[in-house]
Amino acid sequence: MPNRNLQPELVAIDAIDFVAPKKYDLSPTVPLYHMKEVQNETSRFDLYFDAGNCRGEKGTPGFTNGLLLSGTPTKTSVQIQEEINSLGGFLESGVSVENATVSMYCLRENLKSILNTILDAIKHVDFKEDEIKELCADRKQKWRINQEKVATRAQQEFRSKLFSSNDRYAITLEEKDFDNVQQSDLKEFHEKFYLQGLTKVVIVGNFEEETILEIAEYFNQFLASEIGDFDPNVLHEPGIQKIDKEGALQTAIRAGRMLFNKNHPDYLDFLFVNTILGDYFGSRLMANIREDKGYTYGIGSMVAELDGTGYFLMATEVGKEVRDETLKEIQFELTRLQTELVPEDEMQLVRNYVLGQLLKSADGAYAMTDLFLSAELHGKTLDFYNDAIKSIHGITPERVQELAKKYLKWEYMAVVAVG
Amino acid sequence: MIQFDRFKLDNGLTVLFHKDTTTPMAVVNILYNVGARDESEDKTGFAHLFEHLMFGGSVNIPEFDTPLQLAGGENNAFTSNDITNYYDVLPVNNIETALWLESDRMLSLAFTPKSLEVQRSVVIEEFKQRYLNQPYGDVWLELRPEVYKIHPYKWATIGKEIKHIEEATMEDVKGFFNKFYHPANAILCIGGNLELDEVKRLTTKWFGDIPAGEINKRDLPKEPKQTEFREKTIERAVPTDAFYYAFRMEDRLHPDYLVYDTLSDILGRDKSSRLYKSLKKELGLVSNISAYVTGSIDSGLLIISGKLNDGVTFDQLDEAFWKELDKLLNSKVSDEELSRIMVKIRTSNEFQHQAVLNRAMALCMNELLGDADMINHESEKYAAITADDLQRVAASTLIKTNCTLLNVKASHAE
Repeated sequence: MPNRNLQPELVAIDAIDFVAPKKYDLSPTVPLYHMKEVQNETSRFDLYFDAGNCRGEKGTPGFTNGLLLSGTPTKTSVQIQEEINSLGGFLESGVSVENATVSMYCLRENLKSILNTILDAIKHVDFKEDEIKELCADRKQKWRINQEKVATRAQQEFRSKLFSSNDRYAITLEEKDFDNVQQSDLKEFHEKFYLQGLTKVVIVGNFEEETILEIAEYFNQFLASEIGDFDPNVLHEPGIQKIDKEGALQTAIRAGRMLFNKNHPDYLDFLFVNTILGDYFGSRLMANIREDKGYTYGIGSMVAELDGTGYFLMATEVGKEVRDETLKEIQFELTRLQTELVPEDEMQLVRNYVLGQLLKSADGAYAMTDLFLSAELHGKTLDFYNDAIKSIHGITPERVQELAKKYLKWEYMAVVAVG
Repeated sequence: MIQFDRFKLDNGLTVLFHKDTTTPMAVVNILYNVGARDESEDKTGFAHLFEHLMFGGSVNIPEFDTPLQLAGGENNAFTSNDITNYYDVLPVNNIETALWLESDRMLSLAFTPKSLEVQRSVVIEEFKQRYLNQPYGDVWLELRPEVYKIHPYKWATIGKEIKHIEEATMEDVKGFFNKFYHPANAILCIGGNLELDEVKRLTTKWFGDIPAGEINKRDLPKEPKQTEFREKTIERAVPTDAFYYAFRMEDRLHPDYLVYDTLSDILGRDKSSRLYKSLKKELGLVSNISAYVTGSIDSGLLIISGKLNDGVTFDQLDEAFWKELDKLLNSKVSDEELSRIMVKIRTSNEFQHQAVLNRAMALCMNELLGDADMINHESEKYAAITADDLQRVAASTLIKTNCTLLNVKASHAE
């Protein structure tokens, strides 16, 4: 009979093998990263463009990105899709505040052909009026459906409070923005931020160096000669806003503040504070608001990064009738971190958990690439994660309290509740 | 090829071991052969509520999550109409903690009243968040009872109504555990960089002394063949009209199962699919449309769903829709179209099996269906599908008398 009352002995993690992709310089400013260590036939490429929402008026960056494969003078959108699909490609593209990406997942035998198709489509896209009309109608419909969701509404309101000092960062679309989209605006944006806007290429897959060197030639005509500036000092607007939505059964809550990114000396230790508060299943927010009170299906917190700054966010959907109780409990947990030292057993729990998750984030070529990119974006190397391991082992309850006092004052948060 | 070893403990627990030397993590996946189809009609949503209770402490361990997090791991679970699946992912050096935790909750739960009370509330919030407070969120609650008249697939895993969850008692919970949560009703798969001997030693150590339970013989009513077109329109406060065409299909073990899957790909997997090209790009009737199969073990559904463009009526869509389906009945799919679909299937399978967790889950599911090794023969079965197969299955499936249509009408269209 095994002793079921005693947890089996644990092995601590004190070192992780981090593997960097190989770097090729497409130009002095544009790198290509290649991660070769893939065990099977899968591959992926990501193209990064300096074409984020902050570069254009209202919907222009999003519409331009959505129309990249909408046809050229010699091919229709359907023909382009058939070329990609007959090679088994899965496309993902999107726009964030500060950049735009086009990613493709496919078997490695097809990567070169698909890449050629995509680059040809992006280079020659002619923004046909009927394709513009169709995309705008589709997006407008989606927008209207999303407006029915309390989570979407709360997210929009929160963004405008979070990024309140910079209109370009705070953009949220209104219904009229989907009408009268001008072809000339899209063409102009495309020319400036796609045709001369490629800032980074990532390739994951078991390719030989000569293949990569050959692929590297494809990008010559797209390279960005310089990358524009990003706002390093976006400021949020503290305060609580409650919005009623008729018929809603739940209230969506978003609360947070502008903070910092990997370049700030408090970043690593604050991540640890964030985990204690709301970034794992046993976190204080989950333990209190879900597992003790049953107010919600889930609640969590996170730290997100931008090029020059970053922000902290807490998010949940709760029963409408417990909206104010939930806000009170969130505030209670923030205060508790400032007034009481975190017990050593909880510190140890979070240390072990975070190290296990870091090991998982380095598991396999795809995860390892993403981990690398997250450091590279802020000018860091993989040493950053070795520092992280040290910081996790060394952090004390006093340090947690100090950071909570410094960054988690409820009065300083932007808070939105919709529903 | 997904290599695995298989052995059975004396108490009936099936153990699969998938060796993966490339990862520092290990996976412990346990599939329990119980889902929403095993519930009684007046106590629906129970399999899923029970899944939540499995995290409320077991007989010797007050909390499930804390020790696993202390071991650097994390876990989750899901319930479907057919199965309940639990998994733990943690550094391989600490795998014993996951086996200790999983074996203790297979042995017995703590059954605390507080856990039941809290998880009832949590599940009710989940019901609201995912089904009631979402545009189109209640579609499956409406569609299932139209399609299934006697088979328990007529209710969704979340349950028929919130009331059933509110009324769950501790007695219900204990009865459910005793009936379904025992070694012979479970399949365990361990994935990671371990040796078979070690896996045998550890699983015997932790699971070997759990008493064998009685195998529950499942005797579900078989849903009769559908013989008439069914149609229902509901009005909801949504901005856009939406449609859901549901076609009955054979069960998961039927030789034509993958033919149905391929048919759905031809119709609506991506932007080269037939319905996308004709109904969206050529005729401009819909803003989006897609097709897929539900993948259930008993007779499942091929679903085609989408949203209408502004100003288009359900009737306009319906006419064009059936015309497009008829083409599959009246002429053969070309080699080119078929080979395009096959490349897509091959690619998505390769990506799906990339993560050791997905491989472990797929092995358990295939073992439940009869043999874990079936996972290794799926590609050849897809490759053997011919244009004749597709036409034959389309002719018996994509017809009106085999179809249930649910339309969601926007009640406050501008």
